[in-house]
Amino acid sequence: MNMRNNRAIAAAITFGAIAMLTAWADVSLAADKKSGGSRFGDILGGLGTLAGGLMPIGYEEEQSLGQAIALQVVARFGGTLEQPELMRYVNLVGQAVALTSDRPDIPYHFAVLKDDSINAFAAPAGYVFITNGLLKQIHNEAELAAVLGHEIAHVSQKHILEVIQRSKQLAGVSQAGLAAAKQNPQAFKNIIDTAVKKLLDEGLDQEKETEADALGDVFAARVGYDPTAYLTLLTRLRTLKGDDPAFFKTHPNFSARIDAVQNSIQSHGLKANGVLLAERFARRS
Amino acid sequence: MNARYPLRLILLILMIVGGLFSVAWAETVFVQAKTAKLRSGKTSLDKVVADLQYGEALEVVKTEGTWTEVRTRSGVTGWIFASKTTTVKPSGGGDDELAKAGRLFKGKEASDATASAGARGLTEVSGEYAKRSGISQRDRDTVDRMTAYKITDQEVEDFLKKGELGEYAK
Repeated sequence: MNMRNNRAIAAAITFGAIAMLTAWADVSLAADKKSGGSRFGDILGGLGTLAGGLMPIGYEEEQSLGQAIALQVVARFGGTLEQPELMRYVNLVGQAVALTSDRPDIPYHFAVLKDDSINAFAAPAGYVFITNGLLKQIHNEAELAAVLGHEIAHVSQKHILEVIQRSKQLAGVSQAGLAAAKQNPQAFKNIIDTAVKKLLDEGLDQEKETEADALGDVFAARVGYDPTAYLTLLTRLRTLKGDDPAFFKTHPNFSARIDAVQNSIQSHGLKANGVLLAERFARRS
Repeated sequence: MNARYPLRLILLILMIVGGLFSVAWAETVFVQAKTAKLRSGKTSLDKVVADLQYGEALEVVKTEGTWTEVRTRSGVTGWIFASKTTTVKPSGGGDDELAKAGRLFKGKEASDATASAGARGLTEVSGEYAKRSGISQRDRDTVDRMTAYKITDQEVEDFLKKGELGEYAK
């Protein structure tokens, strides 16, 4: 029997157990309510909810969550630049990186936010945003590819989904898809609000940002972009903004990021012989 | 017994064992890109002999520079740009085994979502969320357009070619 079958059986057993636990809790809860006692049912109900909250988020559910977060990002940053040539260019660079990322088999969507701050964001299911402020600091296509690669890495490693998974457990919601949105819209909204707060205000764990830096640069290098371009960009941003943690409060400081990317380039054996494509970037076409 | 026979027998056993070991030791790589082209030679100008899919297993014949000669499961031999391969089997980007099992467990919700997942723009869930959260129509349209915006794999390939990126590098 191969590993794939073993994993499938393990998954089936896990979910069988979760399904039985949830069903048992629901039945017990109903019985307890009838009899007027609730403590035992509450405990079992809690266990059932916990089991549901532990369920991995499937792609269809991820798509709804990603869109809901994308809506909040667009609303908070005043919309996106509606320039067809720029949109096409950013999507071409982004798709090129995404297609050789560690998660190339889902659709990705890229847009430039109408905001002059320096930042970029990713929501689940491949929604990637870069601010116009950050775009203005970029000098060539290789730098843009690395920035988009960083965000694609958050998607491929499911960093935001981990936050949502924890949020689901805390909110006691077993699923965040269509049924949850209809049956418990407030809980669904709470989940999205928690994820948006983490994404935009608090930031992900620093090790996740470091991982996204390293992986994003690898993704861009796989396409053929020069991996040292990202170092040049981070160094430029450090000169511009310094290492003040108040800036880039959602990321580690630039010096730490530059060191980590340098180490990653060495450990992955990436060669500084890729292309930069400064002229094509200047044309944005 | 003729002394030549045991010698032949030993040689035969060595060949069989050696063959088994070479099969067991053959390096396997996997396609680490949504799609990849297998070419008759190690340049992007060489003829495409097979179109490969994400995660497809390939037996390595040899590596030269940035290209790797491989054999597919169906026996086609050709060259693939090495950056599009990985030695670690990709886990898959969509749903993993647990998520697939979860979808089965969730039943109707999953099938409803499947219908909307293929639709253009926002899903029913995110559309409903936008209404309840007071997201403006302008912002809804923005995410709707973003979702519906499509770049084909061929357009990306042409873009790489124009930029002389990856396998199109000169």
